[in-house]
Amino acid sequence: MIFLRRQVPLLITLITGIVFAAQYYVPHPASEQMLTSVTKWLQIIGGFALVLGVSSLFHVHAVKIRRKEAGWGYSFVLYVGMLGTIAVGFWTNGKEAIDGTMTAFGWIYNFMMVPLQGTMFAILAFFIASAAYRSFRARSREAAVLLIAAVIVMMGRVPLGEYLIPISGDLSQWILNVLNASVRRAILIGVSLGTVALSIKIIFGKERSYLGGGKE
Amino acid sequence: MKRETLDVKRKNARSARGTSLLVAGILYLSVSPAFAQTALAPPQDVRVFDTPSDGGGSLTVIWSPASYDSAAAKYQILFSEGTTAPDPAAMKVVAEFPANQRYVRESKWPWWTRPATGEQHQFTLKSGKGIELKNGNSYSITVAAVLNDDRVIAAPVQAMPEPNWINWNQMNNLILALLFGGIVFYAIGTARKREIFLRRIPGLDAVDEAIGRATELGKPILYLTGAHDMSDPSTIAAAVILGRVAKRTAAYETDLLVPHRDPITMAVCQEITKQAYLEAGKPDLYKDDSNFFITSDQFSYTAAVDGIMLRKKPAANFFMGHYFAEALLLTETGASTGAIQIAGTDSDHQLPFFVTTCDYTLIGEELYAASAYLSREPVQVGTLRGQDIGKALILCVLGVGTILATLGVMLDAQWPKLFLDFFRDVK
Amino acid sequence: MTFAERMLKIDRRIIFLVIGICTLLPLLYPVGLPIRISQEVRGVYDHIESLPEGSVFLLSLDFDPASKPELQPQSISLLRHAFRKNLRVIAMTLWVSGTGLADQIVTQVAREMGKESGKDYVFLGWSPGGTAVIINMGQDLYGAFPADYNGKPTKGLSVLQGVASLRDVNYAVSLGAGNPGVEAWYVFGKDKYKFELGGGCTGVMAPGLYPLLRSGQINGLIGGLRGAAEYETLMDQKGRAIAGMDAQSATHLAIIVLVIMCNLFYFSSRNRARQQGG
Repeated sequence: MIFLRRQVPLLITLITGIVFAAQYYVPHPASEQMLTSVTKWLQIIGGFALVLGVSSLFHVHAVKIRRKEAGWGYSFVLYVGMLGTIAVGFWTNGKEAIDGTMTAFGWIYNFMMVPLQGTMFAILAFFIASAAYRSFRARSREAAVLLIAAVIVMMGRVPLGEYLIPISGDLSQWILNVLNASVRRAILIGVSLGTVALSIKIIFGKERSYLGGGKE
Repeated sequence: MKRETLDVKRKNARSARGTSLLVAGILYLSVSPAFAQTALAPPQDVRVFDTPSDGGGSLTVIWSPASYDSAAAKYQILFSEGTTAPDPAAMKVVAEFPANQRYVRESKWPWWTRPATGEQHQFTLKSGKGIELKNGNSYSITVAAVLNDDRVIAAPVQAMPEPNWINWNQMNNLILALLFGGIVFYAIGTARKREIFLRRIPGLDAVDEAIGRATELGKPILYLTGAHDMSDPSTIAAAVILGRVAKRTAAYETDLLVPHRDPITMAVCQEITKQAYLEAGKPDLYKDDSNFFITSDQFSYTAAVDGIMLRKKPAANFFMGHYFAEALLLTETGASTGAIQIAGTDSDHQLPFFVTTCDYTLIGEELYAASAYLSREPVQVGTLRGQDIGKALILCVLGVGTILATLGVMLDAQWPKLFLDFFRDVK
Repeated sequence: MTFAERMLKIDRRIIFLVIGICTLLPLLYPVGLPIRISQEVRGVYDHIESLPEGSVFLLSLDFDPASKPELQPQSISLLRHAFRKNLRVIAMTLWVSGTGLADQIVTQVAREMGKESGKDYVFLGWSPGGTAVIINMGQDLYGAFPADYNGKPTKGLSVLQGVASLRDVNYAVSLGAGNPGVEAWYVFGKDKYKFELGGGCTGVMAPGLYPLLRSGQINGLIGGLRGAAEYETLMDQKGRAIAGMDAQSATHLAIIVLVIMCNLFYFSSRNRARQQGG
């Protein structure tokens, strides 16, 4: 059992990792064909992952409803919402509009999903303002530099700011193109090296936490 | 009699002078660029071969520059199928461009695969736009030069496109990747044999302080592991730090809440938490549902966690891992409950939000370093050391490369490109 | 507690109210200040302008309804531009939750510009796999999308004539709100299949994409609502982005004023504490 749960996945990871890392350097059509087949499989598995996500959700909330845990009413609402949307989706064949006329599925999408998601994202604008008010204080030299840069970029990125202080536009462009780009590159290099190192460790079996379970 | 002879002699001398002048004039005109007619010679040294390091279906043509190369003159690429030598005049024109364009130096060949010197002309034929190049089939290609109404054609050359097994243009990438991999494995090997120094990460003191505060207030601790799954380095680091946090909460008998977005991450974290409680000597205090799955949808998860924060009012919130737009929604809600907040993330888009709303933030690799520092596992510590060496190498390359590139421009020299090309397009 | 200290601990709902008013009023009473065009946005615009008629333009609307306010105006402007230039438009999305929105946008603009599905444009819809879809499209577009969003087989559509894979695309633009987005299109698309790539993104993500822009990996970047407003200005068509710039101007100014005020209160209370202390 250990062999199937541990050794086989590690072997598969090793072989496929090396083969597909090497694939990048092999331009031959046979190599491209192999890549095409595997990415088709990835798409198929990606489709199944959706099913997996939905079924885990169903299971978790079914347990909550059965045990009548605190907040089980919300789990019931989630069930109704999910099953209702799936049923309506099947009924309209997954189409939001047919010949320009909105379907029931389209109604759910446009009048429930879009406003709900938009609202969550819109809250960010208010939270940014309250966070800025609370935190953008020149407590130190570095904080003061951060504050000045933030003010310049905020002014330079809106027409009113450029109208009031014309140079703010050029300054904010310089901050974004020079200071910001160079620092982002540095962070990107560091994170990319980390990702490459992790990939190498996973391929060669040094890192096994993705398999689940604790240390051996 | 004497006078007549003298006149004839004078006449002869005059005509000889005139003839010499005429000959000199003709000779002068023939070499003078302003007035002479440019002699249109067929393109020289025409070579056609299978484009190297590709998947086939392409041929490359190289030929020498000519004295008439200018915007006024044109080159034409002529093409025909088959192995028999065709009549050049009947070949199909597949491309035409000014004669002062299409040089080897303009294309992206690295120096170790460049097929000719930079001043040679080059054109790459690919399938499409009226021609189809099939692998294994022979084709005849040639180059014609056109100037005003004159047209001269070089002798056709046969070539066959073939797919290649190795992309030599990317060899620098492979060598550097293997080098970096070697450095990481060497560092892991060194970490197994001896202790490698890691400086203490200041954020870890903040972690201990936050746990202590929650215990004093008798409130739970909320710990988030981020938006990605267990194949992401930030989630692995978050899981390791959770082990330490869980050990402290077990020792202080504080409640721990760990809502998850990914079932596999949840399973791993459950094991880690259980192990931590065992090591703290409090296995009976471990609760299975301290790690629970909410949903994988971004804003649904955020709304659920915000609800937990507002209802349960945890005293300490930990945001470890990778986050997207939900970062500020989580941290600002947590700040409104008065909780102490520690974040650790490699998502550079969200760093400003974490820095402004959290009491302490582990930035980028500090998160990986913190997990290595805590676990002291040779693999983690060795990887960190390997990455540090990699970064040191990149810094040196940046420094040396900048100096060489500047020298190359100042001295108008090509030799710095030998170094610069090796690190170009490394990805 | 002094006034400064009280102001430093002000209820955040008052700040929310200020922001709310600053957003609402300019939308009701617009001012219409001029918008300066940046090099980043001009990069995308100029490239589309340079494409000859009949060129293949791929637009990937990689966002969901949460990012609609910033990315929908960008998509509308880009589609209008592409249709105006009579380019062959291939639209798609890598985000399942954005499929309905993407379909609405493409259909709306196509109807407005008098374009016909299958002949002038095609909306391929969504396919699972994220970056695997990009790789599949790079190998064989018809394999990745055997049918368009309306179920019509993609093979045989006149808009896709001569397009076998991403290698045949003249210009691609990804409007991304996260992952997969612009970076994924570069790593798995342009790097391998060598087409020209431009990007559009939310305001938050824009600074993070500047390294790609500066190194030439993308030839232009439309960042946030400001970028969308610049594109609408270039297109000479006022839309929601230009309308939103007044609100954004007022909000930014409000935040700057709040920050300045909070610093004044902070220094005032700090000086007072120092005086009392020593």
